[in-house]
Amino acid sequence: MRRGWQVACFCLLGVFLAALVISLDYSLKDALGPGPGFFPFWLSLIGIVLTGAMLVQLARGSIIADAAIEVLPDRSAALQAGAVLVALTVAAALLDDLGFRLTMLPFVAGLLLVLGARSLIAIALTAVAGSFGVFHVFYYWLKVPLPIGVLGI
Amino acid sequence: MDTLQHLMTGLAAAMSWQNLVFALIGCILGTLIGVLPGLGPAAGTAILIPLTFRLDPTGGLIMLSAIYYGAMYGGTITSVLINVPGEAASVVTCFDGHQMAKQGRGGTALGIAAIGSFVGGITATIALVVVAPPLARVALSFGPPEFFALMLVGLGLVTSLAGRSLLAGLAMAVLGLLIAMVGIDPVRGAPRFTFGIPSLYDGVGFIPVVMGLFGVAEILLTIGGPPRQVVATKLTSLLPSREEWGRAWGAIARGTGIGFFLGLIPGVGAIIPTFVAYVFEKRISKTPENFGQGAIEGVAAPESANNAYANAAMIPLLTLGIPSSPTIAVLMGAFIVNGLTPGPFLFQERPDLVWAVIASFFLGNILLLVLNLPLVGLWARLLHLPYQYVCVGTLLFCVLGAYSLQQNVFDVGVMIVCGIIGYGMRRIDLPVAPLVLGLILGPFIEKSLRTSLEMSGGDFSIFVTRPLCLGLLVIGGLILLGSALRLAPAEVREASK
Repeated sequence: MRRGWQVACFCLLGVFLAALVISLDYSLKDALGPGPGFFPFWLSLIGIVLTGAMLVQLARGSIIADAAIEVLPDRSAALQAGAVLVALTVAAALLDDLGFRLTMLPFVAGLLLVLGARSLIAIALTAVAGSFGVFHVFYYWLKVPLPIGVLGI
Repeated sequence: MDTLQHLMTGLAAAMSWQNLVFALIGCILGTLIGVLPGLGPAAGTAILIPLTFRLDPTGGLIMLSAIYYGAMYGGTITSVLINVPGEAASVVTCFDGHQMAKQGRGGTALGIAAIGSFVGGITATIALVVVAPPLARVALSFGPPEFFALMLVGLGLVTSLAGRSLLAGLAMAVLGLLIAMVGIDPVRGAPRFTFGIPSLYDGVGFIPVVMGLFGVAEILLTIGGPPRQVVATKLTSLLPSREEWGRAWGAIARGTGIGFFLGLIPGVGAIIPTFVAYVFEKRISKTPENFGQGAIEGVAAPESANNAYANAAMIPLLTLGIPSSPTIAVLMGAFIVNGLTPGPFLFQERPDLVWAVIASFFLGNILLLVLNLPLVGLWARLLHLPYQYVCVGTLLFCVLGAYSLQQNVFDVGVMIVCGIIGYGMRRIDLPVAPLVLGLILGPFIEKSLRTSLEMSGGDFSIFVTRPLCLGLLVIGGLILLGSALRLAPAEVREASK
């Protein structure tokens, strides 16, 4: 757990430092009062101070008492979580080109298989309902614009 | 009199058949969200926002509000039958509710939870009707400095009660505020942190962030978990016996009071009122040893507190524009998506909408009681739904919701990144709530700060020379100091973890 917090603190520190540097490009003050850079600058500075203080507390061991808590998941859970993230990323990449229906059909079916569903009929029905069915409800009934791909589907 | 007239007009609007259907759909979907473990009310409400895109704002907000308090009840069913809270506020109900189910009294536990939720919800809504208009009138006299101080107090409260470290809570709130700075500067119109990416000119979408932090992260966390064991219990006798009534009614009244008053305080969150109501009930009980063994008061008190809190938490949002919790922040996001800014001006500008939404709380609570008492067996059957299907359905709606907000794949990317960040934060127990609240309040805090400084010609003393503003800042400082010195009661600290 402590290692996790250290990593998080350094990530936060990096974000706040970058924001501080970038906010210097915007004017802190202009003729009307505080400029566009005023709030981000002070926020970044406060963020740096807070993260620095967190790192000091971590070094002293006064934040995390239960250092033995497992941060990383077990191998099979990690693989499944990885598969979910890959599927989401691929779906996002294909959504505009393939359209909602053709993207979601393999997305739903593939994820169900990866997550352990075994009934092929149930998987197929869910995939069709989750892609074509959901599209129909949202696009035609609720008038929510969803992408139609290059194939016109 | 004026309030009563507004309420009657609101009731008439809420009772139109379209709005009744929206409330009914919202209650069903909300209960479903609560029933399905792993999908909390914040994520559930966020992923269902696309359903309301093409509705008129009144209908859309009535449906989303119904989803919110429906989820608060739905979580009880899983707490009682599988000892897994459907949403965080139902954790306490597991203690005695599940024991009652094991003893064959699951139906009674669910029945008293539905009745307690109904009483809590209706009472809190009546109080909302009484309290909200005068509070909104007081808030109308606030200037930008007072609003700045008020929002800082709200953010401070959320931060001080979030998780194990005040510093971490503050850092997360600052990160949320900083993310809110991405996009066009609201005062001068200059782009900030956009890196030439057109999709960032409108800022980082609140809804994709919430879907990622709560929806995707929750799925990633629960994958590979142990299978659920549903307790086989008779659900025929839903009403408690005369002796059980005798013990439960007082607990319902006290739970309602605790839930309502804690709901007025931004940042308290839904867990704390249930926890406090449970502990209070145990302390005053003549048989505290029965708590944890299936005491009906252990179900009645937290469930009443839960729904009283849920309705009372709308008061800071509707009157001051301060969201008390991530779920209320999502509702605030839904108002903003519909071009409305919650706060005192909403009572002036759109009384028709505000009162219709408030009136719908009454109808929603009645609908929930009608739905939950006779249909509890049907909800219980949903618990047998394989988790893979729930998981994939949630992800599907996350993609749909994130995309359809602006028809932009970039938002889906934001959701995925936030899902990874949320997963990491939850694994190491970093608080998520301050980040979400910072993100939604960021533009408002910045605007009031800068308008205040423009009013004073850049002089910061404007915040200490106005008595109300000074008072609010002192309260905010004391809250943070109290949190740093760990002055909150042990129960509250434990519940907030």
